[in-house]
Amino acid sequence: MSSLAEAPRALRARPPEGLRAEWTRTWAFAQRNLVMARRNVFFVFELLFWPGVAMLSHGLLTRFLELTPQMTAFILAGTVALSTVQVCQLDVAYAVLFDIWSKSMKHQFLTPVGIRHLAVGSWLVGVGRGLVVFALMAVIGTSFFGFDFLGAGPGSLAMFLLGCFLSSLIIGLCVCALVILFGTRAETSAWAAVNFLVMLAGIYYPVSVLPGWAQALSAMIPLTYFLDAFRVGYGFAPAFSQPLVKGFALSAVYLVLAHWALAAAITRSRRTGLLLKLSE
Amino acid sequence: MPSSQLLAVEARDLTKTFRSGWRRQRRTEALRGASLEVPRGAIFGLLGPNGAGKTTLLSILATLLIPDGGSARILGMDVVRQAREVRRRLNMASGNASFVWSLRPPEVLDFYGRLYGLHGRALRARVEELIELCELGPHRRTEYNELSTGLKQRLAFAKALLNEPEVLFLDEPTLGLDPDVSVRIRAQVARLRREQGTTIILTTHYMREAEELCDEIAFIKGGRILAQGPADALKRQIRIGEVIALRLDPAEPVGLAEVPGVLDVRRRGEALEATVDAVDKRLPELLRWLHEQGVVVRDCRVHEPDLEEVFVELAR
Repeated sequence: MSSLAEAPRALRARPPEGLRAEWTRTWAFAQRNLVMARRNVFFVFELLFWPGVAMLSHGLLTRFLELTPQMTAFILAGTVALSTVQVCQLDVAYAVLFDIWSKSMKHQFLTPVGIRHLAVGSWLVGVGRGLVVFALMAVIGTSFFGFDFLGAGPGSLAMFLLGCFLSSLIIGLCVCALVILFGTRAETSAWAAVNFLVMLAGIYYPVSVLPGWAQALSAMIPLTYFLDAFRVGYGFAPAFSQPLVKGFALSAVYLVLAHWALAAAITRSRRTGLLLKLSE
Repeated sequence: MPSSQLLAVEARDLTKTFRSGWRRQRRTEALRGASLEVPRGAIFGLLGPNGAGKTTLLSILATLLIPDGGSARILGMDVVRQAREVRRRLNMASGNASFVWSLRPPEVLDFYGRLYGLHGRALRARVEELIELCELGPHRRTEYNELSTGLKQRLAFAKALLNEPEVLFLDEPTLGLDPDVSVRIRAQVARLRREQGTTIILTTHYMREAEELCDEIAFIKGGRILAQGPADALKRQIRIGEVIALRLDPAEPVGLAEVPGVLDVRRRGEALEATVDAVDKRLPELLRWLHEQGVVVRDCRVHEPDLEEVFVELAR
């Protein structure tokens, strides 16, 4: 048997952590998502296949319906928004889903990691993949359906994409919170919730065609305002005043709420023991 | 009793009840007032039958679970209120560890190393050091899912050392491993304490492992710590005694069971086994008594009870 002669030792000094450690933790999640994306062939489907199929099928639909270039832009802007949001939010959700699927949840939450690290790190990869999706769709839209993605101006396009990516971050954090709160059985409902939200944001139609109660809900979704602002650049009358200001202000509020929701979900999961069950 | 400054772990009256089922009405009391003290630099064993509360206790101490009642401190820091600071200083490896399926051993270590704030050259050096230490070099390009159980366990152990933890929790670290791998892991555990002064708290079902490694052992059952102390002290505390095996002529002298200090007498084959409370004191007295009775002692052997017997006694 070993001896206790050397113990106890003084508490080892741990230097205070600076910005470098913050960035390192954040980058850990980005790097893991990148490795997983590189190594799994099915990620190509997420990135190229489904967005490509969506752009082609919707573009062909606009041809069949003989829509004007302006109406084509209306529809295809929605297609771009849906695909970029879906791909980007998925990356944010992967920060938790990879650990749930591999039953390694407890290791992540055993480390001094914060929500900001997992959210921002995985979101950065989501933004990168979202830009790839956008580029692919822009090429298909321009080449086959004459849709000019820069028609609303580069500034407007940049704000639109930023709005889409912020929406993805919010949705991704909510998916993480739901999954940590209810376990893997919440996965499907989380994806369904994403599509429901996007539908309410007036993805292929103006929100004015929705019933009154649904319009009230639409007004609470930031993506509604980003789509509205982008479509103004194609000659559509704005449905809201100051749509970008409202969109970003709502996004800021929801980001704080989503962060709080995920923090509360993790705490509850530590309390109920679900965090351990997700690792068994 | 060691002062708080000398304790790596200090738990007081920890309680934890899990609720499950319809409207969460089914209650399972996992911990019912568990208290524990582990000195810094000790290897501490937590033993108990399945469902005794070992993993729940370890998980609370590792900040993975929040207790319903009581308090726990690691290196003087509260595991609930100062959880983030505590997490910088501890780590954990479990027998059934799992990591993301597509990552290779260096990638797993790199990921968790970054989560502990390691970066640049220091991170790369630490990962390489642990790959070497845990003999994972030949498997550095094998994805996690394709590693054998033993290699997965070694990777889990390597992960647990990334941040040079001051307190290391090992939950069944040698569960289901080949004996040679178990021996190597036990050697690493002993080396860690010897060279780095790491406090190690391990749960195990293997009594020999606990007896070989641990300075102190606690038995937990039904969510309560039933006994705590060094293995030898526990054996005395449980009073299962030590056994003196005698071959006598005549074979069964009358009155042996009434000799002071003799707890039990039973026959096993040709030998008569007398269980005594303290062998050092009772053996000379017993031999004197046998001599006075005219009994010839042909053979005499002393067997110390092992931890397994203590465990069986406590788990009853």
